[in-house]
Amino acid sequence: MNHSGGQKHWRSLEQLADTAEFRQFLHREFPQGASEMDNSWSRRNFLALMGASLALAGLTGCRRPEEKIVPYVQAPEEVIPGIAQRYATSMPFGAGAYGLVVESHEGRPTKIEGNPLHPSSRGASNAFMQAAILDLYDPDRSRHVLHKGHQKSWDDFVTFWREQRSSHVDDRGASLAVLCEPFSSPTMARLKREFLNTFPNSLWAAYAPVTDESIFDGTKLATGELLSPVYHFDQADIIVSLDADFLLTESDNVANARAFANGRRIDLQRVDMNRLYVAESGYTVTGAMADHQLRVQSSRIIAVAIALASELAAQGLQLDYMRGIPQPDLSADQLSWVKAIARDLMQARSRAVIVAGRRQPAVLHALVMAMNAALGNIGRAVSYVSPKDLAPSNTADLARLSAAIKSGRISTLIVLGGHPVYSSPVDLNLPESLKQVETVVHCGTHVDETAQQASWHLPETHFLESWGDARAADGTASVVQPLIEPLYGGRTAAEMLQFIVTGNEVRGYEIVRDTWKALLAGADFEKRWRAVLHDGLLENSAAPSATITIRHQEIHDLLSQQPSEFKDAGISNLEVNFAVSPSMFDGRFANNGWLQELPDPVTKLTWDNATLMSPKTANELGVGNGDVVSLTYRGRALEIPVWIVPGQADYSVSLELGYGRSFAGQVGNGVGFNAYALRTSDAPYFDSGLAISRTGRTYELATTQEHGSMEGRPLIREGTLDEYRKNPRFAQEMVEHPPLVSLWKDRAYNEGYQWGMAIDLNACIGCGACTIACQSENNIPIVGKTQVRKGREMHWIRVDRYFEGDVDNPRMAHQPVPCQHCENAPCEQVCPVAATVHDKEGLNTMVYNRCIGTRYCSNNCPYKVRRFNFFNYTKDYHETIAMAQNPDVTVRSRGVMEKCTYCVQRINEARRTAKREDRQITDGELLTACQQACPAQAITFGNIIAPDSQVAKAKADSRNYHLLGELNVRPRTSYLARLRNPNSELSEA
Amino acid sequence: MPGKWNSVERRVTQPINKMAPAVDEIVLPGNPTFRGITDKISGIVEAKTSGIWYALFIPSAALALMFVVLMCHLFWTGIGVWGVQVPVGWGWAIVNFVFWVGIGHAGTLISAILFLLRQRWRTSINRFAEAMTIFAVICAFLFPTIHVGRVWVIYWTMPIPNQMDMWPNFRSPLLWDAFAVGTYFTASLMFWYVGLIPDLATLRDRAKSRLRRILYGIFSLGWRGGNRQWRHYELAYLVLAGVSTPLVLSVHSIVSTDFATSVLPGWHTTIFPPYFVAGAIFSGFAMVMTLSLLARKAFGLQDIITVKHLERMNLIMLVTGMMVGYAYATEFFIAWYSGNDYERFAFINRAFGPYAWAYWIMITCNVVVPQLFWFKKLRTSIAVMFAASILINVGMWFERFVIVVTLSRDFLPSSWQYYSPTIYDVGMLVGSFGLFLTLFLLFLRYLPMVAMSEVKGILPQAQTHTPGAPSHA
Repeated sequence: MNHSGGQKHWRSLEQLADTAEFRQFLHREFPQGASEMDNSWSRRNFLALMGASLALAGLTGCRRPEEKIVPYVQAPEEVIPGIAQRYATSMPFGAGAYGLVVESHEGRPTKIEGNPLHPSSRGASNAFMQAAILDLYDPDRSRHVLHKGHQKSWDDFVTFWREQRSSHVDDRGASLAVLCEPFSSPTMARLKREFLNTFPNSLWAAYAPVTDESIFDGTKLATGELLSPVYHFDQADIIVSLDADFLLTESDNVANARAFANGRRIDLQRVDMNRLYVAESGYTVTGAMADHQLRVQSSRIIAVAIALASELAAQGLQLDYMRGIPQPDLSADQLSWVKAIARDLMQARSRAVIVAGRRQPAVLHALVMAMNAALGNIGRAVSYVSPKDLAPSNTADLARLSAAIKSGRISTLIVLGGHPVYSSPVDLNLPESLKQVETVVHCGTHVDETAQQASWHLPETHFLESWGDARAADGTASVVQPLIEPLYGGRTAAEMLQFIVTGNEVRGYEIVRDTWKALLAGADFEKRWRAVLHDGLLENSAAPSATITIRHQEIHDLLSQQPSEFKDAGISNLEVNFAVSPSMFDGRFANNGWLQELPDPVTKLTWDNATLMSPKTANELGVGNGDVVSLTYRGRALEIPVWIVPGQADYSVSLELGYGRSFAGQVGNGVGFNAYALRTSDAPYFDSGLAISRTGRTYELATTQEHGSMEGRPLIREGTLDEYRKNPRFAQEMVEHPPLVSLWKDRAYNEGYQWGMAIDLNACIGCGACTIACQSENNIPIVGKTQVRKGREMHWIRVDRYFEGDVDNPRMAHQPVPCQHCENAPCEQVCPVAATVHDKEGLNTMVYNRCIGTRYCSNNCPYKVRRFNFFNYTKDYHETIAMAQNPDVTVRSRGVMEKCTYCVQRINEARRTAKREDRQITDGELLTACQQACPAQAITFGNIIAPDSQVAKAKADSRNYHLLGELNVRPRTSYLARLRNPNSELSEA
Repeated sequence: MPGKWNSVERRVTQPINKMAPAVDEIVLPGNPTFRGITDKISGIVEAKTSGIWYALFIPSAALALMFVVLMCHLFWTGIGVWGVQVPVGWGWAIVNFVFWVGIGHAGTLISAILFLLRQRWRTSINRFAEAMTIFAVICAFLFPTIHVGRVWVIYWTMPIPNQMDMWPNFRSPLLWDAFAVGTYFTASLMFWYVGLIPDLATLRDRAKSRLRRILYGIFSLGWRGGNRQWRHYELAYLVLAGVSTPLVLSVHSIVSTDFATSVLPGWHTTIFPPYFVAGAIFSGFAMVMTLSLLARKAFGLQDIITVKHLERMNLIMLVTGMMVGYAYATEFFIAWYSGNDYERFAFINRAFGPYAWAYWIMITCNVVVPQLFWFKKLRTSIAVMFAASILINVGMWFERFVIVVTLSRDFLPSSWQYYSPTIYDVGMLVGSFGLFLTLFLLFLRYLPMVAMSEVKGILPQAQTHTPGAPSHA
């Protein structure tokens, strides 16, 4: 330590805090982690840090939005410590938005749920929505305005831009361009209009790597106008999906999953369900739900569609434009598949729907739209709406922008969100051309790949910190309102755009309110605005179904241009697929540990992507799981390990997008392999011409499920609809066992509340939303790739995935497994210290404080649902991650066992409320986190001895069975058997 | 200096029960004198520390120290340093525990059961078999203690009055385990120590340095060798033998309930208690064999631990090895006969699944190797029995490993996973051997490794006035 005189003595923390270091520190608001400590480790620094932490601990306690927002469910006068508040908001996602209700504890949001009023979620959610809360607290988020890598202040940018702006106003924006993420937001659309008014000669491009661009293009081809399909799967008896993963990765998946599951729900009144056909190149969760899944290379999907249209025409459907279109060469199997579907479609007519995926080209969408129109289902099972306030992704615009940059015309480029440097088509070479632009202004939440290339980086707020708005897929106008004052400072996208346009700073709240003054034109604005804030959406603002006129001639012309012979890919000419990741999506969630550790629903891989191929393809290439191969496509190469997935089309390999990021943050950097390195603008989703060679190296992949076969065990019990009609108790009769008797008189569990759960395997789509919801609700840590490899993942509810049947044409099924809360629990008996015991309501409780960690309970659990803290996973939580924890749930430390509690904290909250109001807990008042999140409503929970409760009814269903019930453990969680509704014509074949 | 021992074998009868049939052969060749025995055994303790001892002790102590360091790391970081996971929540720590408890059994068997059965040949080996028991149980006790997630609250397994008003869960086999092994340790220690008292007094009386006199003096509890003392001593020894005998059966039976009371296929079997006891005796004798061969060689005890002793131990190993083999076969038969698919799978998986290699090591070492002892030539060959004893202990370690990794494939295939140990697992097994050898070498160095008073008791000189004894030749 350096002492240079007596005046170094300090008298108080305040005096010490008034140093340059401290000011700088406060400016940056949060310590950046360990690196801060390493540099100059002196008492001085240490105390300064301590002092700052104290100050910050105070600050974090009072982060509340300043503007008035209306509590959603409970409306206390002030925040009552310990009582959570819930606010409605929305999560903009692509060209849509998910309606949310966010739980907030003393001013910090902790849990996201779907907004029951909102058509996009109806109270349910998906893994992305659930995990978005973790992104809010991401310690790697950008905190400072950066200019060429140096820290500046917002005011510096204000000064800079005001100068720049005036010069751009002068040349009417001729050298100005904007690259934004697609949005459908009234405010952003208004600001975009203002921008184009102010800078009429400027270029505006919207681009994201995974969008509905080809769907919009298809509707334009078919009808001449841009339309967006909205599906009502509950109105459909026959559903044909052509490469559409509408249950998980396509737009509006939460609403789709709910409607689809409703169409499959069997009860005493209705013993019928929809039938789903899926043609796809590799299994998706939608394919797993299919009654008939056809493995077909992505490039041949169009052939299947044309054959289907021809067949429909042959069977008498009015499809004039198919006249003269040659039949594509399909295999006999594929042809019989197509014929069977056509007959089903013709029977169902308006109660049938054909869905095409966003990965398919526009022409297919046009054809599908025409087929739907001919079937007469438009306005019933599918409606097309004209999207308002939409800035759709447009690759052509991006190419134009790229060309303009190359020509040297653009001197200022403003990048609003997204990660174009990472994810734009590789042939446009955007990273290289950005170097030609004098000023690149990047607004984003992270100092990511794009920010690295930008001259100015402006930190953007998370949507939970922002005022904004968005339209859902069906056009419903929704508000985005903040739950917390921005943790790291920053501006909302609207605030930045407003400033860029006008040069004046306006608060986000005012910007959004201004837009809504127009939307809510008329009397009582304040009252209606408050109602919108309360509900999170504007009632009855969904777009009306558009009337469609199909342009038959155009479709005919397009189809005539299609090649009549579709060459199969082969071993020397493989098909490459760029698939949307169910956890990373397009890469935006790369720094989200929950999603990185969420097992892929199909491969069960975590923390990596791989090149997925069928067993046959792998066999011919001579590669196995984990072998690193070199992919060569159009002169570009990528090295990536192999993962073999039964059900993948032969000679078609799949690469999930969204991995291999270099500047995502501490969690996401270098995780997986960047498939964008091969992706070009003309073949964004699939193409032939891929070559694979072995490198001889191997790579360790982390999967949570090594074994995919049920080994003939009756775990997921499944039957066909016909079998069910013949014998509704088929699932219960699948296992024969001696009478399950006890040596002594058991506790009856026949009074008070007796909690139980039923999981309908016929509804469960295996998406994993429950896993993330549980992780968020119950403070479950992530453990990282090496720990997952060791088998130490902590998920309290996991989704098991099994393949059945032929390895080349397998069927896939999912089964969520939480703690079964056995009445006769094997875990309880073996614990030497009675750390896991039963309560009188039938809960198998886990007493963390009492647990000494022998792990016998886990060994003795037949379901292996118990999770152990092998290390102190929660010790090194960043301060902000600690804020994401649910205060109602203990954060576990090292050496203790944990497992699903049936969300006992929610039970107790409901119990307190009921007691205060002097009543019983009503059925449906209390939802477990997994149940609440489940988009397919597969999970019911409640009091099993209340005869009218949903769960009691589910358990009375003839499909109800206990997993491993023959062990006499008497689980409280039961399953409803899965049903398939196969086409008898195809089953016989 | 040992006295002159005759080469003529003599027959004696039992000193304690006159009515017992005279079946035992003289097992000590020659005709050692009382003084000869005293000189021979005490001489080892009193001689200057040999280079060989240091050569063995230093690496052993180093390994023991490594064990301590690894434990510190374990306590500091968490048991995640091991390979344990879900579904295999128990790994090498529990394998080692059962292994070491099993090793301990031979000591008690030799000292207590053979004592009650008047198997007088035991006197040459019982002392260090008992010592081995104590040290093996110490090693065994360490593993379940350190394997818990929160070692600092391990005492909650004991029914100690506490502010939480909590009893431990008496239904848990882990609790029975703590009691059983604790009782076993206490009884074995008492038994060993009581047996040591006359010999400690001998060492005290022969001590040349003050320190020795004081230390041996303290631990010999004022033994004078008077008639009354001998009477009390023999009665106490008999009582302790009686107490220890059921423990031989109970400890490993209870250890086996750690597995048998579970619901898991491959664990949930009623054959476990007898099968574990047989296996324990089997492995314990193998360990006694290994150690006695080494000690015999190192300290020139060929005349006290004779080939006849060794041959008898080999016969016990042959018998217990076949019991173990029979248990393996029965498990398979019952798995098939039960008609329980999970059970059937568990056993087929043992023999042909991912851990088949471990299973076949176990079968080879435990079932095939002991069959060598059918042949007199082989069971009296020092080299063969040394190799066999080591292989048998390898096999018995693998038996416990095979049982524990049965966890890797239980009911739901979704949770099946391969378990591999880490360097810490290996280090701790090796370290426990270091601890065991360290304690054993200290024992060899500072305590009489053969029960002098008991050996003297079976010498012909001690029997001369017993009715039925052969006359003076």
